[in-house]
Parts: sequence; structure tokens; C-alpha cells
Amino acid sequence: MNTGELLLELVLMPLVAFLVGLLLVLMMRKVRAKIERRVGPPFFQPVYDIVKLYAKKTQISHGYMHDVAMMMLLGGYIASEIFLPVPGMDGVAHQADLLTLMYLLMVPMLGMAMGVGQTANPNGSIGISRALTSMLAYDIPFVIVVAGAAIHYGTTSLPTIIEIQQQQGLQSWGLTTMPLLALAGLMTMHAMLGKEPFELYVAPAEIATGPMVEMSGKYMGTLFVMQCFQLYTVGVLYTTLFLGGGLNWLTFLPKVFAVVLIAVSITNVYGRYRTEDAVRWLWKWPVMIALAGLALVMSNV
Amino acid sequence: MTTLDFLFLLSLSTVLILLLFGRRPMAGWFAVAAYAMQLIMLLAIWKGFSGDISVPSSFHFMIQGHQLHWGMNGLGWFFALITIIAAMLTSAFSAGEWGQQQKNMHLQHVAMAVNVFAMLLLLSSMDFLSLFIGWELVSWAAYLMMTQRGGKAADAAFRYLLYAMAGAMMLLTAIVLINVRIHSFQFEAFWDALPVLPSALLWTISLLFVGAFGIKMALLPFHLWQATAYSETPGAGAAFLNAIAARMGLFALLIVLLKPIGMERLQILAMPLFAFIDAQSLLLWLAALTAIIPTFIALQQTDARLLLTWHGIGQGGFMLLGLAVGTPMGIAGGLLHILNYASYQAALFLAVTAVIYRAGTADLDRLGGLITRMPWTFIVLLMGIIGLAGLPPMNGFVSKWLIYKSLMDANMPMLLVAASISTLGTILSVYKLIHNIFLGQLRKAHFTLKEAPLSMIAPMLILVLIAFVTGAMPGLALTIVDAAQAALGYDLLPHHLGGITWPSGSLNMLWVTGILFYGIGIGAVIFLFLGNKRHVTHQWDNYAGGHFLSAKTPYQYSHNFYPGLMRIIGGWFGQQVLNIEMGLRHFAKLLSEVFYDSYQVVYASLYLVAALVVTLALIVKG
Repeated sequence: MNTGELLLELVLMPLVAFLVGLLLVLMMRKVRAKIERRVGPPFFQPVYDIVKLYAKKTQISHGYMHDVAMMMLLGGYIASEIFLPVPGMDGVAHQADLLTLMYLLMVPMLGMAMGVGQTANPNGSIGISRALTSMLAYDIPFVIVVAGAAIHYGTTSLPTIIEIQQQQGLQSWGLTTMPLLALAGLMTMHAMLGKEPFELYVAPAEIATGPMVEMSGKYMGTLFVMQCFQLYTVGVLYTTLFLGGGLNWLTFLPKVFAVVLIAVSITNVYGRYRTEDAVRWLWKWPVMIALAGLALVMSNV
Repeated sequence: MTTLDFLFLLSLSTVLILLLFGRRPMAGWFAVAAYAMQLIMLLAIWKGFSGDISVPSSFHFMIQGHQLHWGMNGLGWFFALITIIAAMLTSAFSAGEWGQQQKNMHLQHVAMAVNVFAMLLLLSSMDFLSLFIGWELVSWAAYLMMTQRGGKAADAAFRYLLYAMAGAMMLLTAIVLINVRIHSFQFEAFWDALPVLPSALLWTISLLFVGAFGIKMALLPFHLWQATAYSETPGAGAAFLNAIAARMGLFALLIVLLKPIGMERLQILAMPLFAFIDAQSLLLWLAALTAIIPTFIALQQTDARLLLTWHGIGQGGFMLLGLAVGTPMGIAGGLLHILNYASYQAALFLAVTAVIYRAGTADLDRLGGLITRMPWTFIVLLMGIIGLAGLPPMNGFVSKWLIYKSLMDANMPMLLVAASISTLGTILSVYKLIHNIFLGQLRKAHFTLKEAPLSMIAPMLILVLIAFVTGAMPGLALTIVDAAQAALGYDLLPHHLGGITWPSGSLNMLWVTGILFYGIGIGAVIFLFLGNKRHVTHQWDNYAGGHFLSAKTPYQYSHNFYPGLMRIIGGWFGQQVLNIEMGLRHFAKLLSEVFYDSYQVVYASLYLVAALVVTLALIVKG
């Protein structure tokens, strides 16, 4: 691979992620509208929202860590997206692996936590305390899923994982070869997105007790952009691990949308768990299913 | 005279000069210079050995036909390097303004120098007797360092002493058992005799060694002494102890157990009665539990120093976990973690000391918002916690990655999960640390605080820079690790500047760091250049549900930071181990009182008479 292509990928990959992310946000809102029998927002509504937030007159900062945090949380997701191979673009995917990606995905969370801490609002800190608790809750089953998948494929290299799954079509997909891990993975990915019933820390209905309490204007806008990246990253990661990636964008994108669609459909019919209930639930069901899946994988090794 | 002799001489004269002139105002800077010279000497030794070859010391003597001799191989050199750099930077920290405020700086200088000397002796021991001498010296030197402050510190040091004594007794028993069997104190003789040793004896010796050295490492279930003992030590000394002292146990374990016995033997060494558990699994799970349990104890602490020392214990478990996997990658990961951990843990402890120096407390419930007053200390603490948590791009991630990867390659997914649980707990805990000290609202009492002086900031910054550079370019550190790994007799892990290329998934930290900063750069462009201009407000200009905030309103969230989590796992923190330990301590205290009473001078003549009578009786009977 020559330098020109590499540079092109470095620019294109975050851009694609952003555009697909916008579409995913739009889909999320449309689905919710359909369930609630509303018309839903117009096609460009996510873009309007970002422009509106960035163009607001009042942009309140609480200090430099507040600003740096915004860059950290975008940076963490952008880096993850560049290391995630997508059809036609896996230039640097060989330089890092699944384990790196797992910990790289915690950087945005830490960035968010740092920024909210600097805003000096206890309501924000309470939100972060809940967010980190739920991170501990969903990452334990997630680690089991990742470990099981890595043992199954015999590698943590993402391009190799995709290659293995594409050898025999549907038969070699992670979904068919290790259904239990795929199921547990879907549950944890859902919690990772922070949607109902695991949205206690965002708590959009009562903004006073969430991390967003002091986020105004473009800070909120940046969080919006982050949400686009987050939906895309989680969808692509799941597709890579269990749905065989994609040979081209036409087969790849529908899978990503399908993964996110499952999550957003479930979301809309649930209420909200309290922190300890969410932790209990995540440490009970996904962990049990993932452990069973891991045992199956280990017995086949 | 060999280079190692020069190093010993330098180290010993540092002790003596500090003992004589340690009260002089420039004594601190002298100590820094002395450690720098020792470092240069140590680097000169680097040229002297390769692989299993060691640089001998010409100093040796015989006791009752047993030779005691010293020499440094790659493994000892690796630990010595960390020791001396840690001593140099922590001394630099205390040489300036911080040291002038200390009442007993003289003693602190001497204690540090004695510690370094004792560790160098231990790290160069070549037989069981010199190992025992070095071991005892290190224990007493650490006691000297801990006990300085008196009060709570002395209590903690006494507790440490009890543990250290127990460890020494176990070590002595093991050495005697070996001598009875093979009639020699030489390592080589022990290694040669190993294949023919019966399993029962090998189990006994191994358990005694693991017990003796595990106490120093605070391996479960001997983990109770370390946190209080280390955190009560005065600032710079505590940073030094935390960075390296407990690793001496790991060194000794490697040299007497892991190197000669080898993983293959441990794998087939089935446990008596429980044949399905082999010695390696036992060690691995002990290490994994040591990585998890202290981490979650750290999560509950409200004192920054205690929080950090509990994490130190947990990270020790991580190192042993890597080493016990026994593959080249696991060994490299474990050794690399020792080096990486020393860099950021020393920085973290110095940063907390700087906070104590300015704000007067390390109580996490009484601080907050210091980021605006102590920005440099904040940056050090931030980089340090990213390292401790093991997230990219700091060096802590690289060594942990190697450990995860080796567990994965060895088909041990449950241990990988255990290691990750420890990492996740660490993230929660270190966020609490930085949030409660530096984020949130600044207290009115701290409005006038100043940044720590340059003499304190500079060593901390150097330490985190080491942590960052060896994170982005782990090849640098892995080259040093090679020396230790070769001395242990394991294959080397092939590496390049950015990390390793491995068939089942590679890591190139140059790319990871580069891409991460590229992403942050894009984030900066989006955030800074788009949208309207931001303006900074006062911390009281905050949403408070309709109230007006002022200095009178306590508006900080720090106590019991994770209530949701604690409602679930809070009940799991059993006190059983603590109760057993308390019983043992009472017993030891009782014994010591009994002995104290019976040794009183008034009884001396009585003892003499009694001894005389017994002797006479024996003679008459004989």
C-alpha cells in the first residue's frame, strides 16, 4: 500500500463513519417515531441539529480539561474506526488488534468522564459515577465474548477474523459457529450504546442528573457527533466479529444497520433499570450465556 | 576490581557520606549526583554480560566451608536499573523545597541510600546464603524507611516487621531443607539436583519460597501489611518503596523458583490431594486473585496514598500472572510491566505528595477542583492514571497487552477475563482518584494554593515522559527486558521499535499512538474551528436547580463515589482474612510481651543459675 492510498484512507474512514453514523441516528429516530405513531424527523434533521448546536451563541466552557475532553472523546472513536477494517479499507488494521480496540474504546469514556468532572457540577459527577459503573457492568460480559471469539478464530487480528468468516459464507459466520457468544455480544453491545433499559447515566428525561448537565452549545454538538461515531463503531465491531464483515459496501452496510436496528427496536419498548439492577442483569444473563458460549468454544479447540 | 565492585563501593560510600554529612543543606543534591554515578556504573556493567553470563564481584568469603559470593546477571541488572532510577528521581524530588520542610531529612536520605545498597546486594546474590543476607538487609532497610514518622507509621512498620520475620523464617526453613538434602548452598547445586528431588520435597520448598517472597510482594493472602506500611512512609520514600521495593520478592521468586524449576516441571507438578490442580495453575490463579481483590479494595479507599498502594499490590499480581504463563511473550509482558509500573507509580505517588505538600491532606473527601491551581501536577496524575489503568497510549497498556495476548495464546480465556476485570476496576478507582483531587469544585480554603515548585514538578514530569515514550516506543524497554529474559533462560520475544509482529494479531504502538493523536487532532479541528467562540465561566456559574451557588454551598460529589456498585459488591468485601491476621498479631504481641518480661535484667542471674543447674545435671548424668 502506498502513502497516497494510506492518507486517503485516513481521511475517508472517519468521514464515512460520520456519514453512516448520521444515517444511523436518523434511523433510530424514525424507528422511535414509527413505534410512537409519529411522522418522525426529516432526512436532514441530524445535520440540522449539529449545525444548530455549533451555531449557538452561548458556548460555556469550564476550563481547558472540559475542552480537551471533547477532543479526547472524538479522538478515541476516530482512532477505533481507523483500526476497524471495512470493505476496501484496512490499511492500518494490521498494526493493532481486537484487544487494542477493546481498550481504545475506553478512551472516549475516560475523556467524557474527565470533561464532566471539570464542569464542577455534582449532578454531572453522579452521572459519570453511574456511567463508569455500567461500563464495568457491560465490559465483563464483553470481555468474555471477545475472549471466546478470539479463541474460536485463533487470532485477534481483525482482518484475519473477517477472512476466516468469509471462507464459507453463512456457515463460517460467527453467528452460526458460536450463537451463544453472538447472543451475549448483542446484549452487551446494546448496553454499550447506553440506550434503554441501560440509559440511566444519560438520563435524557431528567437532564439535571446526567453527564450532560453542563454541556451546552457545541459541547452538546460534539456529544451528538460522538453518538454518530458510537453507533457506527459498535455496529461495525459486531458485524466484524459475528456477521462476517462484508465483501463490499452493499453487503456490509445492511448488516451494520441491522445490528443497530435490533438495538433501537428493543430500546423503545423498555423502561429504565436502576444502576444496581442494570449491573445485576448484565452480570447474570449475558455473563451466563457468554460463559456457556465460551465453554462450547473451549470444548472444540 | 570489577565494575560491580565499583558499583558496590559507590553505593556503600553514598550511605556513609550521607550518614556523616546528611544534615548539610545540599545533601539532597549530593544524593542525586551519587545515584546518577551509580546509574552510569550500572550502564557500564551492561557491556559486561550477555545471556546467562554475569559480572562477578571479587568480594567473597567462606563460612564453614560454604562459599558466599556475589555477581550480577541480566535479571539483577534489570531490577537494579529500575531501583537506581527510582532512587535518583525521588531524591531529586526531595532535594528541593520538599526536603527543607521535612524534620528528619537526614534519616530519610540515609534510609534511601541503605535501601539502594541492600537491594543491589540482594540483586547480585549468587547463592542461598548471600540471598538470605541480602533479603534480611532489604527487609530491615525498608523497616528503617517506614518507621521514621512514628505514631501510625510505626504501627504499620511493626506490622510489616512481623510479616517480614515470618517470611525470613520460611526462607530459612527452605534453605535448610535444601542444604540437608544436597549439602550445598550454591544455586547451581540446587538446580542440578532438581530433577531428582521428590515431588513432596519440591512442593514443600516451593510453597515455602512462594510464602517467603509472596509476603514481600503482598501476594494473596499476605496482602494486608503493605498498603498501610507504604502509605505511611514519608512522600519521596513511599514513591520509591511503591515503585520497586515489593518487586524484590518477585526477583527472588524468579531466581530461585521459576528459572531453575521451569514451567514444564510446574505444569506436571500435580498438587497432593487435589491432583487436577498443577503448580502452574495454582500460581496463575493466585496471581489473578491478587490482581483482582486488592484492586477492588483500592476502589473503597478514601485516602489517595492508600488507594495507590492497594493498586500497587494488584499490579504485582498482574506481573506474576504474566511471568507464570511461562511463554516468551508472557515473561516479557511480566518483566515489562515491572518497569512500566515503576515509572507511572512513582510519578503518581510524587504527584499525590505534591498535593499533600500544598493542600495538607490526601483525604479524597476533602479535596477537589485543584486543576486550576496545580495544572502541571494534574497533567502528571492524568498521564499516570492512564498508565495505571492500562489504556493506550501509555506504557501500562503495552505490558498488559502482552500479558492478555500470552494468556490468549496459551488458551486461558478465564484468566484473561480475570485480568480484564482487574483493569476495569482500576479504571473506576483511578477516575475517583483524579476526580476527587483535581476535578469538581475548588474549596474556598484552596483558592490561594500555588502550583508545586519546579524541583518537585520536574522529576514527576520526567517519570511520566518515560512512561509515555516507552508506551509509544515499547521496543526501547523491550530491549532492556531482553537482558533479564536471557538471564532467566527463556527465548527472547522478537520485537521492533513499535511493538511486536505476531502471527495471531500484532501491536504497533507507533501506529496506535499516531492514529490516536490524529483522531484527537481531528476532534480539535472540529471542536475549535467550528461553531461559535466559547467563554470560560466561574465554577459557581453552574446549574444548581434554581439555587445560587457560593462558597457556603458545599457543591461537590466525592464521598462514596460509586454507590450503585457498592450496593451490590459492598457485601462481598469479607473481613475473614483481616480477622485471622488480627488474631495472629495479638498472639505475636502476647509472645513478645512474655519474652520482654522474661528478658528483664533482674532475672539475668536467675537464668544464669538455671542454665548452670541444667548443665551440671547433664554433665552428672553423662
